[in-house]
This record gives sequence, structure tokens and C-alpha cells, in this order.
Amino acid sequence: MKNNIKVERARNNMTQADLAEKSQVSRQTINAMEAGKYVPSTLLSLKLAEIFKVQVNELFQLEKKDWK
Amino acid sequence: MKTNYLFPNKFKKVGWIILIPTLIIGIVFLGAEPEFLDFKIFTLFNDTLFGSKDSRWFSENNLFDEIIGISLIVSSMLVAFSKEKEEDEFITNLRLKSLTRAVYVNYGILLVSMFTVFGLAFFNVAIFNIFTFLLIFIIIFNFNLWKFKKSAKDEK
Repeated sequence: MKNNIKVERARNNMTQADLAEKSQVSRQTINAMEAGKYVPSTLLSLKLAEIFKVQVNELFQLEKKDWK
Repeated sequence: MKTNYLFPNKFKKVGWIILIPTLIIGIVFLGAEPEFLDFKIFTLFNDTLFGSKDSRWFSENNLFDEIIGISLIVSSMLVAFSKEKEEDEFITNLRLKSLTRAVYVNYGILLVSMFTVFGLAFFNVAIFNIFTFLLIFIIIFNFNLWKFKKSAKDEK
């Protein structure tokens, strides 16, 4: 799964720590998601979308390999 | 995410404070039976190898191994299943993965022992196996946690 967290974070002028605090997870979790190492839960995805004021599917996109 | 099946974070410290000395005493004085811990205690079942003169409901017993055993189990449960300071969904995930790996390692050791260790020695392996599962989990989980916390030191 791809995500635009890093892009949105830059657009909103937020550090990983800012976003971590707002979304109530640790900074390492934000880092792991940006690195594509962690797929967040539906709950966290919705929170992130709300923080960035975008739709969830603007923030996260499926990749071909997700279907395999 | 709310996790209501874990102990509060402060119990982790309490767990470590009991676990470390118990582990050291348990290993150093393995099999010890200090006299002051000899008691006649209530017994539900007692199937001794040699005929015992104990009555049906009470038997002479040295409490050293019971105290070490109980304190090991309670303290390792506290260390293993207390919340982290920042318990988020990634850590919940990490805990689950570590738990699965600990099952593999612990039962892997037991499987290998099953066809390499026999007789009374296997009985000892089985006793150790009671405690090793939680200890192996604690090692794996804390190692993964350490790797995770180290992972985002430098923010880009």
C-alpha cells in the first residue's frame, strides 16, 4: 500500500512528532508508515485523513501487489 | 487504540524489580531447600515416588521452589503484559508478532528435547519449559521494541 503521509505532512508543515501527537501514536509509528513498513488500522487511517482534511483514499492507495 | 487486556504501565517496573532478583536467586540456589521454609501445607494431590507418611490433605514440603516459581510467573506476566509508555497500535502489533515467535521458539526447544532428552532429565526440561515461554517472549518483544524505538532516531 502506498501513502502520501510524508507529502501531506510537508504540505501542512508538520514534523513527525507533531503528527504523532495529533494522531495519538508514537513518532516511530509515523516513521514506519512513511517508510511503507507498517499498514495502519482503519481507525488510524481515518484519523490521519481527518487531520490532513483529505479523503482516506487520497492519503492511501492500493498497489497491485496488495491483491496477491 | 484502546487495549483493555494489559496491565497499566507502572506494573512493568514492578515486574522487573521482582523478576531479576528471583531469576538470579532461582538459578544460583537451584534445588535448594532451606530449613526455615519447611512447612506442613494443605495438599490437593501428592503423588510421591517413594511412599510418604503424609496424611491425605497435608504434606511436608519445602516452600523454596514454590516461592521462586510463583514469583517468576507473576513477575514475568507483569513485565510481558504491561502497557508501554506509548502503547499504540504498532506496539500492539509488535506484541502479537513477538508472542507468535515466542511460541515457535519455546515449542521448538521442547520438540528438540523430546527426542534428545529422556528420563528424569526430560522431566527437568518440562519444568523449565513452564517458565521459558514468558521469558523468551520478554526477550523477543523487548528486542523488537528496542529496534523499533531506535528506528526513527533521525527525522527527515
